[in-house]
Amino acid sequence: MSTLKFKIVTPEKVIYENEILQVTIPTMSGEITILPNHIPLVSVLKAGEMRIKDKDGEQNLAVSGGFLEIRGNNEIVILADHAERAIDIDTAKAEEAKQRAEEQMKNLKNVQDVDYARLQAVIDRELNKIKIARKYKNLPNK
Amino acid sequence: MPVNTKAIKGRIKSVGSTKKITKAMEMIAAAKMRKAVNAALDTRTYATLAWDLLVSLSKTQKTQLPLLAVRPVQKILVIIVTSNRGLCGSFNSNIIKKVSAQLKNPAHIAKQIVGDKELPGSENITIDVVGIGKKGADFAKKMNYNLVAAFTNMTDTPSVDDALPIAKMAIDAYESKSYDKVIVAYTDFRSAIFQLAKLRQVLPISEADLEKMITGKEDLEKQESKQKNLQEDTYLFEPNRLDVLQTILPRLVETQIYQAMLESAASEHSARMMAMRSASDAAEDMIKELNLNFNKARQAGITQEIAEIAGGAAALE
Repeated sequence: MSTLKFKIVTPEKVIYENEILQVTIPTMSGEITILPNHIPLVSVLKAGEMRIKDKDGEQNLAVSGGFLEIRGNNEIVILADHAERAIDIDTAKAEEAKQRAEEQMKNLKNVQDVDYARLQAVIDRELNKIKIARKYKNLPNK
Repeated sequence: MPVNTKAIKGRIKSVGSTKKITKAMEMIAAAKMRKAVNAALDTRTYATLAWDLLVSLSKTQKTQLPLLAVRPVQKILVIIVTSNRGLCGSFNSNIIKKVSAQLKNPAHIAKQIVGDKELPGSENITIDVVGIGKKGADFAKKMNYNLVAAFTNMTDTPSVDDALPIAKMAIDAYESKSYDKVIVAYTDFRSAIFQLAKLRQVLPISEADLEKMITGKEDLEKQESKQKNLQEDTYLFEPNRLDVLQTILPRLVETQIYQAMLESAASEHSARMMAMRSASDAAEDMIKELNLNFNKARQAGITQEIAEIAGGAAALE
């Protein structure tokens, strides 16, 4: 059975790189699942949960923003703005960051569009992280 | 001679304290370098992948998006990435030398390469400069280039937020056709002892520049494999081609500028570390030599004194 060469990178580092069987990705136009032999595709990510299935089981990542590129030869590259494994997420920190962003949002009275969009993106991202962390951290076998 | 030894002693002391300073600066630079190099290397993967995507998109897309449009060059924007502070060896002078050599002959950088053809620039090329770091801004002022903006409050490890305003400015200006080409001049970090000043075309996005970017074997292999799959690639876009490209292209340009800043920061700290190390070494040599001179002078003084005493005793007899 053919596999996908999968790689997810953020501006900070390479998060995960492996041969995988399938991956489910949240995109702007809805969640998509990529299987091997997909045709070349470029799409935009949105904040959400990414599920990667490889030989050993399933990996769950919180991602937000960025894009994905599927190349013709079973290679898939994800350039994410932020990505974190569910088990690595620090819920307290995420909560804090979210509150900080919300506070800033309130304080900025005459916000510029760019600032507003940026803060909104931060809030979305942290909310997403919290949600995913809650979902997977409580599982006994994780 | 007592006067002479005293002067030498003073010099030894002052060279010694200079050495202490350079040694401390070397350590600081080394610590900062480690951080900056890590940041640059970690982002490199992302930037290379982003650049790959950018180039293959610009190849396969015939859509006329403003960021992909190639126009005959009349106005060029050059973004020079330098440091805020000096004492970093030839780091700043290298990049400035490189830039001024190119700017003296604007016809060369004004060429646009489309496929295999070259599109010459127009007769009167005007060049505007954006300075990142004080030294670049000072250089532009001194050479009477039109300095449109200067970003001089950069930290030692630039973050994406630092790169955003610069990228936005470049993108806006390119879209509104105020510039026909945007070039970034930065210092590429190769290793702690070797950095290379480089010019890189950011806009319009061109495949020709990719070849200039090749640094080593690794990249070469990557390029080959990419060329193979380029032929078969006609990308599918979701939700649609225009939306995707409009989101992706500015992000990719930002990434390129951010990467240039990180590379420069890493290079700056390595250059400073090396400069400070050689300064410490030079101080060490100097102290050795001065010590030798001091001992010689002291010995000469003693010998002379003995000779004088002996001479005096001989005169009494």
